Amino acid sequence: MPSTVVAANTTAQTIAAERENAAVKAKSITIDNLGGGGDRVIEIQDIFTPAVTEGVAGPVETTVSRFKYTALAGDQITLGEDEISGVKCLGAMKVISDVIDASCFITVGYEHE
Amino acid sequence: MLELVPKPQFSVVIPPKTLQEGYLVTFSSDWPSTHDAIREKTFRIDAVNQVPYDLSYTIPTGDYRDVDFANGSGTFKENIYPENQSSLFEVLLGFKPGNFVSHWYIPSGKSVHNLEYAQMYPDLTNAKRKYLGARTPKDSPYEDPRIKLYFVKDLAPMIMRLYVLGGVDYEKIVAGLTINKCLMREITIPTEADRLKAKVIRYYDYLRW
Repeated sequence: MPSTVVAANTTAQTIAAERENAAVKAKSITIDNLGGGGDRVIEIQDIFTPAVTEGVAGPVETTVSRFKYTALAGDQITLGEDEISGVKCLGAMKVISDVIDASCFITVGYEHE
Repeated sequence: MLELVPKPQFSVVIPPKTLQEGYLVTFSSDWPSTHDAIREKTFRIDAVNQVPYDLSYTIPTGDYRDVDFANGSGTFKENIYPENQSSLFEVLLGFKPGNFVSHWYIPSGKSVHNLEYAQMYPDLTNAKRKYLGARTPKDSPYEDPRIKLYFVKDLAPMIMRLYVLGGVDYEKIVAGLTINKCLMREITIPTEADRLKAKVIRYYDYLRW
């Protein structure tokens, strides 16, 4: 299972790029806010462009929030497969924070399925 | 300490899922005259080549997309059909799990899963009849595909309509195809044994009597 670590940022940081023939499933999430400067709201975003369909002739890039968690300052949390079993991204999996914080780290383990 | 495993009394041989080199195929007499090159003829498969290919579409809930397997440059064309008269494409198709159904039409607009009573045809605007004739991912899983299609040159467009059911915002539908490309050589005078052995490929109209 691959994993990626990113620091909290208000620009969405890529965990896993979109793969045409698979979705990206989160297997574990660790938010390390031990050294962070305050509480941080961390969100996993699913970013994709839908197909042309009967209803939408000109689809545009779409962002859907798949997970949101408030990590308290000085705290660290790990969520395993059971807690996040429903977190699946159809396109690219990205992480975004409400505040830029180079001392708050988010680690996401994932699989393509 | 020492054992000689006895010979099994019988064994089960599972035939291959796809046409193999040396297999025979016959195209029945119900193929129209536009397919004279194959109609009522028997062929031996001289070569096969399996080509895997995944198609995927992310579709919003309650919406659908038509996937046209025929060749061409339109948005919905997937160009899976053969271009040579001597080619037969046998396609295995399976779905990754998801919240959707598929409906099948050939030619475009004519469902292959109508019943006989009036209005008993698949209808995505109807709460009940959207499930009439619907094939789900469980019917043909990605790892063990059970939907099989046969394509020859200039066959009318076969349409797979993928409809995302309620309960999700979007669904990513992944259809895994294995295109078994078969090179056919005509047997000009097939024997009775050839005819009996051959796999009969009928024209699609027989599904709608």
